[in-house]
Amino acid sequence: MRWAGLIALALVALAIGVAVGPADLSPSTAWGGLLGRGDATAITIVRDLRLPRVVLAFLVGGSLAVTGAVLQALVRNPLADPYLLGLSGGAGLGAVVAISLRLGGAWTVPLAALVGALLSIALVYQLAVVSGSVLDTRVLLLSGVVVGAFAASIMGAIMAVSTAPEVRNALLWLLGGFDAASWRALGVFAAYAAFPLGVIYRQSRPLDLMSLGEEPAGFLGADVERLKRVLFLAASLLTAVAVSVSGIIGFVGLVVPHATRILWGHLHRALLPAAFLLGGALLTAADALARTAFAPLTLPVGVVTALVGVPLFVVLVRRWAK
Amino acid sequence: MLLRGFTTAATLAVVVASCGSPETRGGEQVLDDAGRPVVLHTPAERIISLAPSLTELLFALGAAAQIVGRTDWADFPAEVVGIRSVGDGLSPNVEMIVASQPDLVLFYASPSNDVAIAQLERAGVATASLKTDDLADFMRATRLVGRLSGHEAQADSLVSWLETEMSTLWESRQQSARRSVLILAWDNPPIAVGGGSFLSEIVELAGARNLFADTDRPSLTVSIEAVAERNPDVVLVASDSGLPGWVQRPEWQSVPAVRYRRFVVVQGSEFSRPSYRAPAAVRRLRTALAELQP
Repeated sequence: MRWAGLIALALVALAIGVAVGPADLSPSTAWGGLLGRGDATAITIVRDLRLPRVVLAFLVGGSLAVTGAVLQALVRNPLADPYLLGLSGGAGLGAVVAISLRLGGAWTVPLAALVGALLSIALVYQLAVVSGSVLDTRVLLLSGVVVGAFAASIMGAIMAVSTAPEVRNALLWLLGGFDAASWRALGVFAAYAAFPLGVIYRQSRPLDLMSLGEEPAGFLGADVERLKRVLFLAASLLTAVAVSVSGIIGFVGLVVPHATRILWGHLHRALLPAAFLLGGALLTAADALARTAFAPLTLPVGVVTALVGVPLFVVLVRRWAK
Repeated sequence: MLLRGFTTAATLAVVVASCGSPETRGGEQVLDDAGRPVVLHTPAERIISLAPSLTELLFALGAAAQIVGRTDWADFPAEVVGIRSVGDGLSPNVEMIVASQPDLVLFYASPSNDVAIAQLERAGVATASLKTDDLADFMRATRLVGRLSGHEAQADSLVSWLETEMSTLWESRQQSARRSVLILAWDNPPIAVGGGSFLSEIVELAGARNLFADTDRPSLTVSIEAVAERNPDVVLVASDSGLPGWVQRPEWQSVPAVRYRRFVVVQGSEFSRPSYRAPAAVRRLRTALAELQP
């Protein structure tokens, strides 16, 4: 029953995402456009702009929620979110460097952000691996924060001295959005995301053990060191790809896992898919609102996720605490 | 919108003329665009200009010898490189400005300059904040800067020349089959130039229509869907290196003008700020639009 409700919620969010937008299409026109009937502009808008955008928003929202859930279990810290480990700083730095060097090309900014994010993951990982191959999660947290802060300050310095006026626009890109959504971007994201998502899901059971603490997990038979490395890398790669297609979208990865735990309990085999669906639904709905609330203007989607999500979360926490 | 601009300029011209010049009117005050009085008893001899548009204007008025400081952003005319830069023009470095011993500092009117203006006034340096966002602003700024720098006659003739040029262009613009132009400042997120902007004025004077002229804001973040729905005939981008890379991105192919590469790429600062070069910019844009005729 709960699953049926969640799947229905996800489908409704996807349907709303396709039905609404700054272009004032009636539901029947939008439906016709989806089926490839009627006005050519409507077909283009629904099939080439809305559909890939809505599906991409769903997949990114789901991936961020799953990543947040994994990292919260891994470092046993409720404040962990996908960007905690230095990714936002690294990705932002990559984008700002590409723009200030005036590198042209269709894919420059997302590729540079991906490279920046991967470099910061590598650095954080290097810092957190102590004495051979032991990944210390406390050091991981600290080095993530430190590397992120370092990258952000280099980014700030470049923005202050760069003569390229476009550098300010990098910040807007970084605030997050799905304007770069296309079938190709969707395909690239899905191809990349499938592997880390599969890896993470396969570790549901060990993740349950990890939430008890590293020592108990080890006693209960989990290969703790290997598990930490695999999960950290899978979660980071997933976030890095998400950043490169949509910038930095806050809140989803932090709060959706908590909301899901309140509603679904702590077993990761159920928690992870539920978080994926809820995160996807939230981000899809937030993007629909971002596109339509002040049309033709668009809001940064990260602003909307927090605006919509925080009140919902407050209600949930209040009810759960009683 | 443009006509409204002209009327404002004309009204202001009358007001300015009735005030007379600052140095001869003890007690009468000249107000800048921020509504602050500019306290100056004789024409300024050492001027720092913190906006590229105002630096360019000082050159045009024959006041180049009076400029003792510019910003890193100043790029026209080429002779600006001979003037010392004081760094940025917004929240500028007050220490460098004071060290140049100016008697007048020209600011772009922005709240981020308030602190610097207050500090300079405490140091006894006169300041003026000027808005130069559209052609009416530019004409008002020309008269004011002309008075403050002692080049009133040049300012008057520049303004009347520009008014003549603008009305000639306005009357000779093509009025049938006005094409809609998407003026795109950035691609991701897509930032379009709106109605309350200089580029929009240039496009209208060139005989076309800004796709987002219905919004008063100078620029707006839009979605590709909003662009696709409005379906522009032409896309205008400012770029020094030809067609930007994003024109190849798949999501933009939903906009026919992008798909069929109906682009006008403009280059040069005459498109980025109002100046006496605006008529030349309009003519260049007209030619470019005409060459794009199907």
